Amino acid sequence: MHHLSIPFQIDRRRFLERTSRGLSGLALASLMNGALKGSDNAVTQTMEKGIPGIPHFPPKAKRVIYMLQSGAPSQVDLFDYKPSLEKLHLTELPASVRQTQRLTGMTAGQKEFPVIQSPWKFNRHGQSGMMMSELLPHLGSVADEICVVKSMHTEAINHDPAITFFQSGNQQPGRPSVGAWLSYGLGSETENLPAFVVLLTNNSFYQAQPLYDRLWGSGFLPSKYQGVKFRSSGDPVLYLKDPLGSPEKIRRKRLDRLAELNRIRASEIGDPEIESRISQYEMAYRMQTSVPELTDFRDEPESTFELYGEDAKTPGSHAANCLLARRLAERGVRFIQIFHRGWDHHSNVKTHLPNLAKETDQGSAGLIKDLKQRGMLEDTLVIWAGEFGRTVYSQGNPNNFGRDHHPRCFSIWMAGGGVKSGYSHGETDDFCYNIVRDPVHVHDFHATMLHCLGIDHKQLTYRFQGRDYRLTDVHGHVVKEILA
Amino acid sequence: MQLYRHLLFVVFIVTHFASGTSSLGETRIQFSRDILPILSNHCFTCHGPDQQSRQSGLRLDLRSAAVLEGDSGELAIVPGKPELSEVYQRIISDDEDIRMPPSEDAHRLSNEQIDLIKEWILNGAQYENHWAFIPPKRPTVPIVAKKLWVKNPIDNFVLRRLGDNTQIPSAEASRETLIRRVCFDLTGIPPTLEEQTLFLTDHEPDAYERMVDRYLQSPLYGEHLGRYWLDLARYADTNGYQYDTEREQWAWRDWVIDAYNNNMPFDQFTIHQLAGDLLPDATDMQRLATGFNRNHGITIEGGIIDEEYRTEYVMDRVVTTGSVWLGMTVGCARCHDHKYDPLSQEEFYQLFALFNQVPERGMRGFSPQEKIHSPIPNPKAFHLTKQIDELKKQLAQPINLDKSVENWSASVRTSGPVHWEVVEAEHFKSTGGSSFSELEDQSLLVGGANPNQDNYTIISRTDCVDATAVRLEALTHESLPGGGPGRHSNSNFVLSEFELEVISIKNPDKRSKVKFKQALAEYSQSGYDIAKTIDGTVDNNNGWAVDGPTRKQPVQAIWVADQPFGYEGGTSLKFVLKHQANFATHGIGRPRLSITADKRDQYTFTNLPSEVIALTRIPFQQLPPNDRAFLKAFYLENHNPHESIRAEIQNKQDQIAALTPATMVMADSSQKRVTHLLKRGAYDQPAQIVEPGVPSSMDTHSPSKVTNRLDFANWLVEPHHPLTARVVVNRHWRRLFGRGLVETAEDFGIQGDLPTHPDLLDWLATELIDKQWDIKYLQRKILTSATYRQSSIATPKDYRADPDNRWLSRGPRFRLDGEQIRDAALAASGLLQSQLGGKSVYPYQPKGLWLELNNRPGYSKAYPQGSGSDLVRRSIYSFWKRTVPSPMLKTLDAPEREFCTVRRSRTNTPLQALLMLNGPQFMEASVFLGARMMLECDGDVKDKIAYGFRLVTSRDPSMQETAILLEEYNESFNNHEHVEKVNPQIGGVSHELNNLSLDEGELSAYSSVARIIFNLDEFITKG
Repeated sequence: MHHLSIPFQIDRRRFLERTSRGLSGLALASLMNGALKGSDNAVTQTMEKGIPGIPHFPPKAKRVIYMLQSGAPSQVDLFDYKPSLEKLHLTELPASVRQTQRLTGMTAGQKEFPVIQSPWKFNRHGQSGMMMSELLPHLGSVADEICVVKSMHTEAINHDPAITFFQSGNQQPGRPSVGAWLSYGLGSETENLPAFVVLLTNNSFYQAQPLYDRLWGSGFLPSKYQGVKFRSSGDPVLYLKDPLGSPEKIRRKRLDRLAELNRIRASEIGDPEIESRISQYEMAYRMQTSVPELTDFRDEPESTFELYGEDAKTPGSHAANCLLARRLAERGVRFIQIFHRGWDHHSNVKTHLPNLAKETDQGSAGLIKDLKQRGMLEDTLVIWAGEFGRTVYSQGNPNNFGRDHHPRCFSIWMAGGGVKSGYSHGETDDFCYNIVRDPVHVHDFHATMLHCLGIDHKQLTYRFQGRDYRLTDVHGHVVKEILA
Repeated sequence: MQLYRHLLFVVFIVTHFASGTSSLGETRIQFSRDILPILSNHCFTCHGPDQQSRQSGLRLDLRSAAVLEGDSGELAIVPGKPELSEVYQRIISDDEDIRMPPSEDAHRLSNEQIDLIKEWILNGAQYENHWAFIPPKRPTVPIVAKKLWVKNPIDNFVLRRLGDNTQIPSAEASRETLIRRVCFDLTGIPPTLEEQTLFLTDHEPDAYERMVDRYLQSPLYGEHLGRYWLDLARYADTNGYQYDTEREQWAWRDWVIDAYNNNMPFDQFTIHQLAGDLLPDATDMQRLATGFNRNHGITIEGGIIDEEYRTEYVMDRVVTTGSVWLGMTVGCARCHDHKYDPLSQEEFYQLFALFNQVPERGMRGFSPQEKIHSPIPNPKAFHLTKQIDELKKQLAQPINLDKSVENWSASVRTSGPVHWEVVEAEHFKSTGGSSFSELEDQSLLVGGANPNQDNYTIISRTDCVDATAVRLEALTHESLPGGGPGRHSNSNFVLSEFELEVISIKNPDKRSKVKFKQALAEYSQSGYDIAKTIDGTVDNNNGWAVDGPTRKQPVQAIWVADQPFGYEGGTSLKFVLKHQANFATHGIGRPRLSITADKRDQYTFTNLPSEVIALTRIPFQQLPPNDRAFLKAFYLENHNPHESIRAEIQNKQDQIAALTPATMVMADSSQKRVTHLLKRGAYDQPAQIVEPGVPSSMDTHSPSKVTNRLDFANWLVEPHHPLTARVVVNRHWRRLFGRGLVETAEDFGIQGDLPTHPDLLDWLATELIDKQWDIKYLQRKILTSATYRQSSIATPKDYRADPDNRWLSRGPRFRLDGEQIRDAALAASGLLQSQLGGKSVYPYQPKGLWLELNNRPGYSKAYPQGSGSDLVRRSIYSFWKRTVPSPMLKTLDAPEREFCTVRRSRTNTPLQALLMLNGPQFMEASVFLGARMMLECDGDVKDKIAYGFRLVTSRDPSMQETAILLEEYNESFNNHEHVEKVNPQIGGVSHELNNLSLDEGELSAYSSVARIIFNLDEFITKG
C-alpha cells in the first residue's frame, strides 16, 4: 500500500465508514485491519499488491473506465468531420488514395468503390469548437472535457485479430489483456472487490460480433489477474449467492467453523497457504455484501438517471453499465471495462448507426459529467474506442450503403486522468482514408494509457518462456501531445 | 571491500546456485551454470545469435567470435586477462556512455556477477555448450550416509542436494496420507473406503508398492494422465477464434486415454501422434493419433485471407511441438533468429517445412478428416454391432413371413414409431385475444384477433401416470394464410418457448413444471432450432420457426421429458405456447397436442397410420387372426422382407456411423508445398526457399537426414536426443511434486531455469530411455522413492524458506487442479459416473454464459446443459469451449486451450471460495455426501460425520474437528435449512434422492456438514 497517496486513503476510510452497515463485526474488523494496519497481517491481507517500484512516477490517473465498442464504429459518421466529401460523394475512391492496401474478403472483389459522405450533420460544440455528429448530442455537450484521437491505426483488418490486438497487444491469442497487466502491475485498491471488472452490454443489433473470454484473460500471467465479469442477470458475480438463501448470521457462523477447521489444519501442517485460503473466504464473504450493495441502484437519486438516461434503470444497458462503472470506481476498482457490441455495419449504416449511437451516447456523456461533479474525473481515465474504423467507400449498393472494416485510420476518445480536454489529435486526408498527421498506433495508445497510470510501458514486464514480455511488445511511444 | 565482496560471492554460489556436482565449499565456475545466464540475460539481445540485431559486430555466444576483435578494434575477451578484455573493462566502467549493459537496460549487473565474469576470464574464458543441448549421460549414483532412508537411486540424488544445503529429509507420511496422495496422482480422485482399508490393513513389506501397482492398472489412470496431455495438445471441442463453433475431435481424446491405459511407450506415443499417417500401412489408430496436430484453432470469420490463417495453423504446430517435445520456445525464431538460443530463423522454417504439407485451407480448414471409431468401445455401438450380426444371419435364412412381420412389429414397438395419444383441449386461452375452435381431429383452429405476440394456454387432462414425451402437430388449414401452418401472411410461425405444467387432479397442491431434456422437430428453419423452445429465453427472437414462406407443410415437434410425468388419479396438463418474437403475428395456426408413455432412447417422427402403430403394441402372435391378417397385408404392401432387414442393417450402420465423428487428422499432400522463410514471420513476405530439417544445436545424434514428419518424430526419440527424455521426465516430476526439476518446464533453453537436480534429471531421462520409454515404470520409480513418500508437514518457517519445495525436504503439498477437485467431489459423494470415453458432455453451468458473449443467429446457441449421468462424468469429458471455458474450471486456473499450455498457474482467490461454497456441482455433491453419511454408516451423528469426513479426506477427524462439525449439524438441523430449497436450483440428479425417503431435516443437516468438508483446504489439496 506504500504507493497510495494520502488523500485516497482518507477517501477510502470515509467509504468504509459509509458502507460498514451490513458487515458483521468480524468482517469489519478484518477489513479495518487490512486498511489501517498495513500488509503485515497475513490473515487479513487479501488485497493483491502490485510490483514494487510501480507506479514508476506519480500517476495522473488512478483507475480506468474503458468503454470498448466492439464491431468498429464509423469514424467518418461520428467524429472525423469531412466537409470535403460533399463534393466527392458517389465518386470513385481514387486508386492513389486506396493504394495497394489490403481489403477484407468482403469488398476485395467489389468492382467500384464509391465514396459516401456522412448522411448526418456535424455540429460545433463548446469552447473548443469540436465538430461532432448530430448522432452524439450528449457527447457534444461534454466536448470540452474530451480528447478525440482521429489518427488511430491498427494492423489487423478482421474482428478477431483486431480486438485481440487492442486488448492484448498481439493479434493471436495468448497474451494478457490490458486489465490483467494493470492488476498485475498496480495491484488492487479494494479488499471487497476484484481489481479488474468486466461489464457486458446487452446488444440489440442482431449481427453483433461475438466476444471471447481471452479479451479479459490473463494470458501467461497467473490467472488471478484475469477480469471478473459482472453479469446483469442472475448472480452479478458467478456463484455469489448462497443457494439456500441462508441468513447472514448463519453464513457467518459457517464460515467461522470452516476457518476454525482450516486453522487446526494449518497448525498441524505449517503451510501458510492455508491461512491465505482462509482470508480468501473472508473476501468472498465480504463480496456477498459488497456486490449486491454495489449493483443495487436504489440508493441513486433521480438526478442520476437524468444524467445517464432512463436506460440506466435497465440492467445490462450501456447506460446502466456506465453508472455501475462509476460505482465500481468509487469503491476502488482499478480497471473497469465495458463491452458494447453491434457496431459492425456492413449494410444499412443509415438504419443501424443511429441506434448504436443512441444506445451509448447519453450513458457515456453522463459518466463524464458524473465523474466531474464528484471530483473523480481528474484521476479517472475514461476511454471510448472500437477495434478499427470503417471505410469511406460503400460496401454494396450506395442506396443502403454499408461500410467495411478500415484499419488505416479511425477515431477514439479519452477523457479525464492525464489527458487534454477539448482537444483533437491527428488528422486524416480528405477521404478519411489515410492519416496525414500524427499517427497513433495501438501500441502507442497502450503506452500512453500506461503512462497516465504512472507506468513506463517498457518497464512493466513479465518473464515468460525466457523472455521479458510487455503489453507493447517491443514497440509503443507515449503520445505526449495529448497529455495534459 | 574487495575481499568482502569475494566472500559474498562464494557464499552466493554455495547457497543460490542449484546446479553442479561440486561438493560443498568448492567454487569452480561452470560456464553454463554461472556465466551463460549472465551473458544471455544482459548481452545476447545485442551481441547474441540474432544477426539482424547484432551491434558493433560483437558476438558473445560463441567463443570463437568473442575472442576476436570487434568493430572497435578491441579484443572482446582475452582469455586469462580481464584487464585486456574489452567486455570486462566495459562492464566495470564508471563512464555511463561506455558502460555495458547500457543504461536503458532495466537489469544492471550486480557486483557478484561482475566478479564471476572476471573470475571466468581469468580462468581462461572456457565456453561449453548449454547443458540441455548435451545429450544426458548416465550419472553415477552418489553415495550417501543416510542409507536407511534411501529406497531407490532418486533418493541418493535428492539426499545429496539436501546435504549440500544442510537440510534433512522429512519422515515418511502417514499411510492415510500416502494412499490419498498416490490415488490422486494416478487416478485423479481420492481413494474409496475399501481401497483405504485394503492398504491400511496390509502389513506386508511391499504393501505400498502393490498399492501403487493397483492404481497403475486402474482405467481411471488413463483419464487422469490424459487430462494433462490435453493441455499440451490444446485440445478443445470448439474451433476457437471468433465464432468458436463446435468440432468433434473427441475420438482423438479417447485415443490418448487408451494409449495411457495401455502404457504405450512414449517413443511410439510420439511417433504415432506426430507422424502416424506416414508409417507404412498406417492403421486407423495410428492415423487417429495424428489428430494431435490438428487440435489448433480454426477460423471461420468472413473476410479473412486464407493463407494468413493457414500459415498460423502451421506456426501453431511448430510452436506446440517445440514446447511439448523439445521444451524450447521455438516460436521466438519465427520473425528473427532466436535472441538467446542457438536457433536461427532459417532453422525455424526448416521445422515449419515439416508441418507445412497438410492439404488444408485457412478458412474453415477442417479437412483432412477421417471417420475413425474411438479405440474405447462404445456400449451402444457394441450393442448395435451385435444386432447387425443377428440381422445378417437372418438375411441368409429363407423368409418366414410370419416371423418377419413379428420382428417388424416388435421393432416398431420397441424402437420404432411412438404411440401418441392425442389429448383433448378442455380449456384454452390466448393472451392476445385469439379465438380457438375445436376441430373433429381434436386440433384447435386459431382465429380471431391476430396479435403480434400471443401466448396460448391449453389445458387438457390425462390418466397416464408415466408420460415420457409431448408431441405438437402444427397442422395446416384452408383458413390459414397461404396454406401453411402459421398465422402470418407468409405462413410462418415462431414458437418462442414451450412449457408444460402438470397438476394432480386429486390433489391440486401437487404440481410441477415438466423439465424437457430434449426437443426434436421434423423440420427447423436455419437459426431457429427447436431447442430454442426450451432454452428458457424468448429474447432476440429466439424460437422455433419452419420456413413458412417456402415450406407450406404441416410440421411436428417432440419434447422429451427429463422424468416421466403424470399423477395417480388423473393429471391436468397445462401447456403454454409462447409466441414472443418481434416478428408480428407469427402464431401457430392449428395446434394439436399428444403425449406418449413409450420410452425411447431416440424419438422419431413417423407416418405410420395410428391403427397400425396400435396393433404393433401387442406382440404379433397374440393378436386375433383378423388383426394379424391386417398387419401382414399392410406389411407386405409396404415392405419386402429382405428389404426391411437390409434397411434395418443400414439404419443400424448409420447409427454406428453417427457415433463415429470425423476427426481432423494429419496428412501430407502428394504435391510438396514449397516452404519459404517468411520475413518478420508474415505470411505475405516469402524470402528464400527452405528445405525440411532440424536445428543443428540439438542435432547431436542424427543418423540420417530429416526430410518429413516421420523422420522428425524418429529423431525426437533417438536415444541420444538431448532434450526429449529430459523434457518428459521433468513434466512428470512437475505433475507429482508441483514443481519441475527444471522449473521452466516449457523452456529448457538458455533463458530457462537451471535444473535444481541436474544429475537426477539425467538419471531419470536415461532410465526412461533404457526402459524403452515405459511411462508407468517411470512413475512407479518416482512414486516408490522415499523422496515422494515424505510427509509434507513442516514449520511455517520451512514453508516460507522454500515455498516451492525446490530441495525436496518434504513431501509434495499443493492445490489440486480444477478437474481433480470436481471429480473428487463427485467421487466422494458417490455421484461419479465412471464410463470411459465418448462424446463430450455438458455439466452444470450458470445460465446464459454462451449467449451473452455470442448470440449471433446461426453461429451460436445456449449451453445445452446435460441431464442424468452426463452431469456427473469425469471432467475430462466436459465440453470445452475455448472462448467461454467452463467457469468452474476457469476459476480454478484452467487455461482457455487456445494454445499449448505447459504450466497452469495455481492461484488462491475469493472467486474460488464462492465457487466451492455455492457452485451447484458442489451443493449437489454435499447433499449426496450427506445422504451417504445417513445411509452407509450405522452409528450416531458423530460416527456419520466421521464417515463423511473420511470419504473426503481419507482420514478420521480429531475430536475437536468432530465437535465443530457437530455444531454445524445441530445448527442446521435446528434452523430447518431444508435441502429441498437446493433441488430446484440444481435440479440435476437430485431427484434420485426422492426415492430414498430420507428425513429432510437430517439430510439438510448432514449436507451442511458435507458442505463444510468440501470447503476444507484439505479437500482441494494433495498433501
